[in-house]
Amino acid sequence: MELSPENPLPAEPEIETSHVEEFVEQLRCVTDSLPSRINIDAQSVEQGLARLVLTLIEFIRRLLEKQAVRRMEGGDLSPEQIEELGLALMRLEAKLHELKTQFGLTDEDLNLDLGPIGRLI
Amino acid sequence: MKLYAYGLTEGIDSLPEPLNGINDAAVYIFKVGDFSLLVSAFSGDTVPVNRDNALAHAAVVRSVLDRTTPLPFRFGTVVTDRQLESYVRARREGLQAKLELVRGCVEMSVKIIWDRGRTEPAPANNHSEGTPGTAFLKEKRRELLGSEARAEEAKKIARWLEERLGDVVRDKTFKTNSTAKLLVSGAYLVDRGMMDRYRVALKNARLERPELHFLASGPWPPYSFANIDLEFKSQFGVS
Repeated sequence: MELSPENPLPAEPEIETSHVEEFVEQLRCVTDSLPSRINIDAQSVEQGLARLVLTLIEFIRRLLEKQAVRRMEGGDLSPEQIEELGLALMRLEAKLHELKTQFGLTDEDLNLDLGPIGRLI
Repeated sequence: MKLYAYGLTEGIDSLPEPLNGINDAAVYIFKVGDFSLLVSAFSGDTVPVNRDNALAHAAVVRSVLDRTTPLPFRFGTVVTDRQLESYVRARREGLQAKLELVRGCVEMSVKIIWDRGRTEPAPANNHSEGTPGTAFLKEKRRELLGSEARAEEAKKIARWLEERLGDVVRDKTFKTNSTAKLLVSGAYLVDRGMMDRYRVALKNARLERPELHFLASGPWPPYSFANIDLEFKSQFGVS
């Protein structure tokens, strides 16, 4: 069935919510994080590559954090080892933040859309 | 000749009224076999992602929605007329299957916000003074537990909504998000003849879970079910 004279479509999509401001705020966060296109030109290629590399580093950093938390929960680390591991991860996070700032990137930029699989992070 | 491609459909030989699209270029029907493609002339290689262009793309795709259900192309699809013709002829069967899936349907969207505090563990006690590394890991543990709890809750809500709407939709797709207040984003393919039943089912679901904040919208062209990827560069956003 293609046409339905009894139930014509509205001229514009209808939007219905009782929480407009809340959704505007959340959807703004989503649109801000949408990837802009990577244009292969001299000016943008550096930032595009930095974004790709930093995304992969961020992905690995988060995996390391998760593994460290699991090991801490598992009780197989001494307090000294936990402190040492925590400091190392803290410095890694700070360093990555510094690099992001240098290349004008935000947390939302560090992600990859993997199509049907979803997003990397 | 370069074209900007908006969408593909069937059974349409002309536009109901003159329409301008990206860069204010006139939109016309480009016929390839049984298919009708909505296109406009385009000079350049890339289309800037901005409000005007996004709205122009959406308006063209929507212009035929009251007559038929189009398969929208991904925003920014720029190809030559020969590439487009070659693509459509080579993927004729796949495109027909996609058209069959969405035929007679529209997309309805449901987004759900949920109070994050319900799954957020309390901040870790600060017994780690002088040991910043340990405090850091404890905070990460708290974030991780909160994220896992929210991911689980998002899945539960998505399953619950699927049970409530399952009988009145042809297909569905949803994304869950464990890091933001916007927990679930669902898209539902609804037969035009089932719209009233869909609206009633959604209304009942909203009444059942007043703690969830809903945003319902539509009808939209079936972007979530039929977006056509022309080639690698459009799929990965590299142009």
